[in-house]
Amino acid sequence: MTAPIATSSDVTVQPDGRYDVIIIGAGIAGCAAAQALALADPSGRRKILLIDRHPGSSPRFAGEFIHPRGAQILADLGFYAALKAAGAVDVDGFTVLERAEGRYVELPYGEIPGQRTQGLAAHHKSLVRTMRQVVRERPQVDLFEGWSIHDLLRGSGDRIHGVALTGPNGLQVKVHADLVIGADGKASQVRKLAGIPEQRQTVGFTVGLELRNAKLPAPTWGNIILGAWGPVLVYPIIRDADGDLVYRVTLDLPANLPAKGARLAEFLLETFVPFLPHPLADQIAEAITSHRGPFEMAPTVNLPAPTAVQPGLALIGDAGGCSHPITASGMTMGLRDAECLAEEARRRVDAPNHEAWLDDSSLRRYRAEHDRYVPTRQALADAIYEVFRGGNEGARAIQRALFDYWASGPTARARSMALLSCAEGRPQVFLSEYLKAARYAIESSLVARHAAHLPTRDRLRQVSGAMQLASNKLGLVAQVMWAQVRPAWLPHDRTFL
Amino acid sequence: MPAPSLTRVPTEGRLRAAITRASAATAWWREQAALGPALARPIATTTTSPAPAGHLLTVPDIGLSCEILLADRLFHDLAPAERQGLAGWIRANQQPSGAWLDDAGGPDLSRTALGWWALVESGDDPEAEHLVRARRIVHELGGAQRGSIEVRLWLAMAGHMPWAWLPTMPAELWLLPTLAWLSPSRVSPWARGVMTPYLLLSRAPAKVHVSSAASLLLTRPDGEPILPRLVQPGLGGDLLQAFDQSVKLIRKLPRGPILGVALARVQRWLIGAQQNHGGWFSVRPTLLSLIALRVMGANYDDPRIVRGLSYLRRARGLARLHGRPHLVQGLTCPPLATVARLVRVALAASDPAGEAAIPFLLAEEIRQSGEWQLRTNAPAGGWPCEAGADKYVDTHSTCAVLDALLALPKDSGHQSQARAAMRRAVEVLLAMQEPDGGFARFERGESEVFMARFPLRDAQILAAGSPTDPARVCVSAAALRQLARLGFQADDDRIARGLQWLWQRVTVDFAGFDLGTLAELALCSATLCPPTHPLRQTVERQLRGRQREDGSFGAPIDTALAMQGLMALEPRPCIQTQRAARHLVQLLDSAPAELAQAALSERLGGAWTAGLGLSRLCQDPSGGVREAALALTRFAEQGGQL
Repeated sequence: MTAPIATSSDVTVQPDGRYDVIIIGAGIAGCAAAQALALADPSGRRKILLIDRHPGSSPRFAGEFIHPRGAQILADLGFYAALKAAGAVDVDGFTVLERAEGRYVELPYGEIPGQRTQGLAAHHKSLVRTMRQVVRERPQVDLFEGWSIHDLLRGSGDRIHGVALTGPNGLQVKVHADLVIGADGKASQVRKLAGIPEQRQTVGFTVGLELRNAKLPAPTWGNIILGAWGPVLVYPIIRDADGDLVYRVTLDLPANLPAKGARLAEFLLETFVPFLPHPLADQIAEAITSHRGPFEMAPTVNLPAPTAVQPGLALIGDAGGCSHPITASGMTMGLRDAECLAEEARRRVDAPNHEAWLDDSSLRRYRAEHDRYVPTRQALADAIYEVFRGGNEGARAIQRALFDYWASGPTARARSMALLSCAEGRPQVFLSEYLKAARYAIESSLVARHAAHLPTRDRLRQVSGAMQLASNKLGLVAQVMWAQVRPAWLPHDRTFL
Repeated sequence: MPAPSLTRVPTEGRLRAAITRASAATAWWREQAALGPALARPIATTTTSPAPAGHLLTVPDIGLSCEILLADRLFHDLAPAERQGLAGWIRANQQPSGAWLDDAGGPDLSRTALGWWALVESGDDPEAEHLVRARRIVHELGGAQRGSIEVRLWLAMAGHMPWAWLPTMPAELWLLPTLAWLSPSRVSPWARGVMTPYLLLSRAPAKVHVSSAASLLLTRPDGEPILPRLVQPGLGGDLLQAFDQSVKLIRKLPRGPILGVALARVQRWLIGAQQNHGGWFSVRPTLLSLIALRVMGANYDDPRIVRGLSYLRRARGLARLHGRPHLVQGLTCPPLATVARLVRVALAASDPAGEAAIPFLLAEEIRQSGEWQLRTNAPAGGWPCEAGADKYVDTHSTCAVLDALLALPKDSGHQSQARAAMRRAVEVLLAMQEPDGGFARFERGESEVFMARFPLRDAQILAAGSPTDPARVCVSAAALRQLARLGFQADDDRIARGLQWLWQRVTVDFAGFDLGTLAELALCSATLCPPTHPLRQTVERQLRGRQREDGSFGAPIDTALAMQGLMALEPRPCIQTQRAARHLVQLLDSAPAELAQAALSERLGGAWTAGLGLSRLCQDPSGGVREAALALTRFAEQGGQL
C-alpha cells in the first residue's frame, strides 16, 4: 500500500477521520517519530497521520548536523542508507579554532567510548525530502503535505483528542486521535494552540551560505571558528557524485541586525571575513560577493524547555525546547525524543484497541526522560555560545580555559565531546567538567599570553570575570543536576502529568 | 515626474569641480609622501643621497631644526644648502619682537633660545638686530638656564652650565624590574627614548663644541650664571632638590659593580632600540641617541650612526610659510596616519592610486615583538606612527590605516592580506585599552606615569599627555569606531567600557574639545550608539551648535571634519551639512585656477595634530584639502546637493 500524498494541486485526497497518532510537522523529528512509531507496531494495526504545511520542505534553512547518538537512531530507524545515498556526509567530530592565527583543537567523536565514531551531516532540504520518502513507504503512515493545523480538538477534562486541519485550497477537516504530537519546530503552532506557556526569545540570526570544497584542515568535521562577533560554523552537507563536498557556512548575527538588505553583504565582509583563516576567508568572501538575492537567514531562538506533554499531546524536537545551534544538538535531541516515544509505544504494543496506544503514563515517562536531557543540552548550548562569543571578561577567560583544558589530553577532549554531543548525561560528569573549566579559567587568567608584564590589576580583573561567570552558572548547574537525578515519580508543578 | 531644477546642473557641476580640485591637491600630497618606490626601498640602506625635496606631511616647531643645526658640529652631515635651508625656516618663524612663539601664541623661552643659538651657529651675527631682539626676549623670560630640559642639556654639552644643574638620574633605575613604578619602562616611549641617551650623556659627560651661547644666560653681578631651580616650588620640590643633591653626592662614592652593570644595560637598551628605519622613537630621541653613541665611542662610519643620520635626513622636507617653501627638520618620517588618510581620499574617489598604495601600508605593519607589549597582551600587529618603524605600535595610525583598508574595494586583490592585517590590528586595539576604558596611543600606562608626579620641573614630559587629554578622547573614539566597524558592538564589555569612558569625558570636558575631537566622537557614536543614546545626542547637539553664520565651523578643516561627523549621524545630508558643503565649495571655487597644489593647500589651511614629547603640536598642511575632498565626496555619494 502506498500512502496518499496530498499536494496543493491534489485536493481530492484527505486524511481519514481517525488515527492512533497525529504528528504535526514532517521535519526531522516528525518523520523520525512517525518511522519509530511505525516500527514499534510490527503487526501494523496502528495508523499514524503525518502532516506538514510545506510541500517538499521548509524554505528556511535549519538543522543539518547530527551527532553520533542521533546518527545511530537514524540508522536504527532505517534512514541512514537512504540519506547516504542522497549525499549525506559522515562527520568525524568538531574542530575549534580560537582565532585565525590562534589555537586549534580537534574534538573527535572517535574518542568517546561506547558510541558510533561518526555523526552525519546533510543538507536540510535533502534530509527532510529523503526522510519523507522513507516514511512514505511505511504502510501505517499517511503523509500529507501542504496541510496545516488550525485548531486542537478537546474533549472532556480538556483532553486533546484530535486536530482541525486546513488543506490545500482552504479545505478543512477534523481528525481524531488518541495522541497529537507537535513536531512543528521552535515556532510551534501546536504549542500555541495547546496554550503551553513559553519563554521564547530571539537571541539573534544565523546567515547560511553554501560553499563548494571549502579549504579546511579537517574537511569532514564541523569547524567552529571564533574571533568574530559570533562563532562561524563550517561543515559538509553534501557529497556529490564527483566526490566534491558542499559545505554549509553559518554566520551568527546579533538580534538587532546592524545591516539589512544589500548592506548585509558588506557587513558580513567587514565583520566576519577578516576573522577567518586564509584561504577559507577568500572562499567565503567570494561566496558572499557572488551571492544574488537575499541571504538564507534563520532566527536563533532560545526556548527554555516548556512542558512537553499535556493529556493527549506531546511536544518533540524544537517544539519541546531549543537553544542556540552552536552545539548542533537540536536534531539529535529531536531524534532522541522520537526514540523515547517509540520506546513507550513498544511497551504498549499489545494495548487493546479501546485504549490509547500511548496513554498518560507513557507520556509521563516520556516527559521524565525528555526533561533529563533537554535542560542539559540547553544549559550547555547557552554556556558554550556565551563562551565562544567572548563578550565579557569571564567568557573570554573560560574560552582560554577550554583551549587549555582540551590541550591537556585526549581524556579531557573526550569527556567534553561526550557532553556536547549528547552522549553523556551523568550529573557527576557534568559537575566535574564544570569545576575543571572553572579551575582552568582562573589559572589561565593569571597568565598573560603575550604581555611580558601584564599589570596585576588586569590579571585580577580577568580572574574576577571568570569567577563571576562561573558563579553565575552555579544555579544552572544545580538545575541540570537536579533534572538528572529527579525521581520520575515526583509530580511536576502546575500540570496533571 | 517633477521637472529637474534649473539650478541643479550648475551646482552639481560646482560640487564635482570642487571635489576634483581638492582630490588633485590631495594626490599631490600623496606624491609628496613619496609612496611607492621611495618608501618601499629597503630602509636599512645607508644611502647618503641629498635631502628629499618633498613636502613634510607634519611640520613641527623650529626646535628640531635648531638642534639638528647644533648637532651638525658633531656629525658634519648637513650640506651647506641644507644648513641655509634650515636656518631660513628658523628665521621665517621669528616674530618681529624677536621671539619664537609657543603653541599658544606666546613667546617661548626654549624655542627663542634654541632659535638664537642655531642662527648664530649657522653664521648669523649675534649682534644683528633680529638676534639682539631674541636675546633680549630670552633675558626677559629668565635666561636660557630656565629653558626646557633640552635647552639645558645643550647648554651643559656646550660647557655653559655645569652638569650638576640638570636633574640627576640614577643609572640603577634601569636595573629595576619593568613592573616597578620607577622603572624606565613605565614612562612614555618618547621619554624613554630621551632619558636613556640623556643618562649616558650626563655620565660621560658629553662635550660638543658649538658657538657660544653664554650671552643667553642670566648672570649675577659677579658674572656667574644664576642656578636654575630644578624642581617646582613647595615642600615636595625642596625635598626632591635635597634628594637630587644627595644622589649627586652619593655618585662620588664608590658603588661597586652595580653601576657598571646598570650602565651596560642602558647601553644595550640604546643599541637595541634602534628601529628598522635607522632612527629611534622619532627625531629628538634619535639625535640624542646618536650623540650618546658617539660618547660611547662609535665613530662616524659606524653603521648605527650612518643609519641614524640617514633617518634624520629622510625626516627632513619642505614646509611652506608665507607662500615660500623652507627646508624643515620633521618630527618623524612620513606619518602613517596622514599617509593612510591620503590613501583613504584616493579610495573614496575610486582613484587607482589608492589601491596601488595599499601594499605600502600593508608592508608597514608591525610584525615583530616590541617593548609596547610589556603591558599589552596582544601579538604583534597594528601600525607604527611613522613609515619604516617597527618597534612601537601607534593606535592612532592603526585606526587610520584600518579606515583606509576598510574602504578598499571588496574585489581588490589585496583583500586577503588586508583582512589578515586587520585581524591582527583588532587584537592590538583591544589590548591597548586601559583599565579606565580609554585607549592608550603607544603603550598602556603611558599617560599615568608615577614619576611624572614628582615635583620636578620637566616631569610632565615623562608621560604622554594626561589621562583626560582631548587627544586621548580622540584616539579612544577612533579605536572604538574601528572596532565597531569590524563587528564589535556595545554588547561587548570592552566596547561598553570605552563608551562609558567617552561619556564621562564628554560630560566633564566638553567645552575643551576642538572640532576634530567632536567630529571623531560623532563618527564613533554614529557607528556604535542608537539615535537615542545620550552620548550620540549630546555630541550631535554640540557639533551642530558650533556652526557659524556663514555655514562654516571655523577653519576649512574643521568644516570638513564637522561635515563628516554630521553625515555619519544622519541618513541624508541635512541643511547644516549642505551649508557647510556650500562653504567649502565656495572656498575651492574662489581659489584662482592657476594656483599650485601647495598654494591651494596653504590657502585652505591645515590642522594642528598631536606631536611627540617637547613638540606637542604639529601642523598638518594637507589637512584642509584632504578632509575637504573626503567630506565633499561623501556628500555627493549621499546625494547631497548645493
